[in-house]
Formats: sequence, structure tokens, C-alpha cells
Amino acid sequence: MLELYHWEPNGLFLKPLIALHEKDARFTSHYFDASRLEQLDEGFPGNVESRLHLEREGPVLVDGDEIITSTFFMLEYINDSLPGIDLKPGGAFEHYRMQAWGQKIATILSPAVCALGCATYLSIDESLRSRIDAIEPLERRNLWLDVLNGRYDASAVAGMREHLKGTIGLMETTLNQDPWLAGEEYSIADIDAFAMIRPLPQLAPDVVNSDETPALLAFIERVSQRPAVATAMSAARTEHPETCFVPGCEASRWG
Amino acid sequence: MALTLYHWEPNANSGKPMLALAEKGVDYDSHYLDLLSFDQHKPEYLAVNPEGTIPALVHGDRVLTESTPIMEYVDEAFDGPSLRPQDPAARWRMRWWMRYFDAYFAPSVSMLGWNVFVGPSVRQRDQEQLANAIDRIPLESRRIAWRKAIFNQFSQEELDESIRRTRAGIEVLETHLAANRWIAGDEYSLGDINGFNLAYALPLSQPDHCNDDKTPHILAWLRAIYRRPATKETWAKGKTDMASRVTFLEG
Repeated sequence: MLELYHWEPNGLFLKPLIALHEKDARFTSHYFDASRLEQLDEGFPGNVESRLHLEREGPVLVDGDEIITSTFFMLEYINDSLPGIDLKPGGAFEHYRMQAWGQKIATILSPAVCALGCATYLSIDESLRSRIDAIEPLERRNLWLDVLNGRYDASAVAGMREHLKGTIGLMETTLNQDPWLAGEEYSIADIDAFAMIRPLPQLAPDVVNSDETPALLAFIERVSQRPAVATAMSAARTEHPETCFVPGCEASRWG
Repeated sequence: MALTLYHWEPNANSGKPMLALAEKGVDYDSHYLDLLSFDQHKPEYLAVNPEGTIPALVHGDRVLTESTPIMEYVDEAFDGPSLRPQDPAARWRMRWWMRYFDAYFAPSVSMLGWNVFVGPSVRQRDQEQLANAIDRIPLESRRIAWRKAIFNQFSQEELDESIRRTRAGIEVLETHLAANRWIAGDEYSLGDINGFNLAYALPLSQPDHCNDDKTPHILAWLRAIYRRPATKETWAKGKTDMASRVTFLEG
């Protein structure tokens, strides 16, 4: 039986919930509070890849002996290993488009969304400092220290909004040409994007709004209507899962 | 359908699709762009890839510009030996490691390479021409990178962090290869092609940290990949000393 370790249905944590429900898969849900660092508790599944994956905090899918992390590749794994609806339809070029989106979302969009979400909503206190000081690797620890030490100043937040604009603009252009990000059919690229951009109308209304990104707003609405998405959202234990963020997804060091 | 690959040296992002195509036995029109002459920012190439990044693969009317997804496309679109494991977990592992290479390990290795090779290679040219060349770069992130490399503006803190990450990456890779013959496990795959492009020169650039005593599994893995005819054929297409360094893996 598959086991999914996840937090509130938002951002990275929302993606596998949607994909598993799209597949109508049976799985055991293990809910943890990532903002309280419960992922560091004894007994939480781990291996080399889960300790070093570049999203740092995120869902973990356990399939027998396999511990799957890194959300876009987790979506590919879910599609590759489970029967049901094909979430990677089309041929080689459509698959290329999905993977190119997955790469852009992971390396450009997600760092900005996660950082903006943390700067806007996340509040952690000194009681977590000793746990944070023990986090390995260093890059993962530093992202938490940025939050604890209040390093998200106004100019940093403004910079994150700028980073969003490029990828969001590209999505808007694509969705004006095609119904879905990889072309004619719904795919893991849409799940991947939807989970990250769903909070943006509230989090970054200057970037995602009805004047500048009407196609993107229609896309969010269209994906929200899917039964699998509604089921995934029912995993929420708070009133506003879209405000639940933890640090992760380091921005490119090349600027 | 016509197939054209726009690329620089068999190295890093350019080398990934070159080696994947060679392993598949696929012929293509090779269009060499001289990175150090800023060919990739000239109008004729921007008409192909408006972002001005290398490589780009043009297959009929399809244009592909992200090097790791290009490799997966090559494997799926063409006949020839499969370069991705069939097992979903092994395929996931291949992709996980390629992301680790692309987003953690390679940017640090390449920042050091740009600092000691790319920057000094062009720094002596006319300063106004260089400034104009930088202004023509479409992506802001690449403008920043070129400015830092050409005008020697990488901070010591950035370079120290790249050295730290490069050495951390070497340790992680050695541990992985001590337990796995290839990146994805038992089969040679795109993960190895990706990793070779990143790591083939590490024994030369990090001799105290990547060598037969400290990282025997990395060295054995690099030599095994270099013995493959497709690798030799691909690196023979290099036009600079950077590519010809690979011959130290002979024997």
C-alpha cells in the first residue's frame, strides 16, 4: 500500500494528493505539520535522496522500499507506476513540454512562491531554534534561519515578485494559445503548476489578476473544478491551507 | 524530418544532447556556436531560440531548448538503445540525480569554470564591445553571469560557496557510485550522460578532492563512460583545449 506523508494541501504538498486522486489510487495518508518541523521526528521516512532533494521540505511518497521525493518527478513516478488515467498523454514533444515546465516551475517559480509565502504568512518562534540549528544539510538549515532571523525585508520580497513575473507571463502566453500547458490535454504539468499558482491571486495580486492574467485565472478555476482536486483539498485541517508555507526551493545562485 | 542541434563544445549543457544523440546512433546537422564569440546572442540564433541559451534542438518545426528534457525527448523520439530504465523507481532515481546535477552541483562547478576559463578568455577584448555584447543578452540571469565572469566580479563569498558545494557534490557522488554501478542503478542511462558532462574534468579541476585514492568510484565511472564509442566520438567534436582535456581518462 502506498503511503503519502504530507502537510496541508498547498504548494508542493498538494501535487501528489491531486495526482493520486486522479489515478483513483488507494494510499495511506500521514499528515504532519511541516511548520513545526515534524518531518524531523524520529521514524519519518528518509534516505540520501530525501535528505538532499532540492525542494528541501515537501511530501514523501513511500512505495514498499522506495522513498520518493522531489515533487515533479514524484508526479512522473505516480503516472509511470499506477494504472488509471494517463497524466502524461501525447508523444515525445508533449512530454518534453511537460518536463520543461516542471523544470521552470521547480527552479524559478517555486523558490519565489515559497519565499513570498513564508515572508507573508509563516511565523516561527525561538522554541524551534535548537531543532533548526541541527538541520543538515547547511542549505536547508539556512532557509529556516532566514525565516527565524527575519531576513525577508521589503526589497527581498519585491525581488521575489519580479522573479514570479517572467514565469507567470510565459504561462499566460501559453494558456492563450493552448488549453493546457503541454498542449491539448491535461497533464502532470498542469497539476504541477496549479498547486504552486493557486495561492497567487491573494499572495501576489499585482502579478496574478484579472487584467494581466485572465487566462491563468480561468486555468486555476478550471483545474479547481476537477473532482480529484476537490478530494485533494478535503485533506485540509486548517481553514486556509493556501496560507501554509515552509521554506524550501532555494533560488538560483546565478541571479 | 530534419534534425539540427545548435551547440558549443561537448561539455555541460551542450554535451548532454550531443552524447545522447551519439548513443542513440542518430545523425543530425551540427551547428557549432562559439560561446566565447557570443554567437548565441546573434540575431540568426535568437531567431531560433529567443532566450539565447545553448543548446537548441530543432526537429522539423519543433524547437527544444532545455538540455535535460531534450535528452529525454531524444530517447523517446528516436530508435536505438533505450537510455532510460523501464522500472519506474529506477527512472525516478535517474531524474532525481539529474536535477541534483543540474540545479546544485553543476551551477557551482560552472561558476568556478567561468571564473577561471570563460571570463579570462574574453576579458582582454575591447571593453566597449564587451559591454555592448552583454547588453544584447536576452535573459537577465545570463547578463548577470556574463558581467560577473568578464569583469571578474564573482565575490569571494560566492566562489567559496561554489567550492564548498563542488566538494560536497563530489562526496555525495562518490558515495552513490560506491553503492551503484550507474547513476540510476544497474543500467547506463541519461543520468550518466548528464553526470559525465558535469564531472569529466573534476579530477583536473579538483585534483586534491577527486582522484584515484579519494574517489576511486568516480574515476572508474568516468573511465567506463569515456571508453564508450559514443563518448569518444562526441568529445572528438570539440574545438578547444577544454574538450581535449578528456583524454586524461584514456587507459
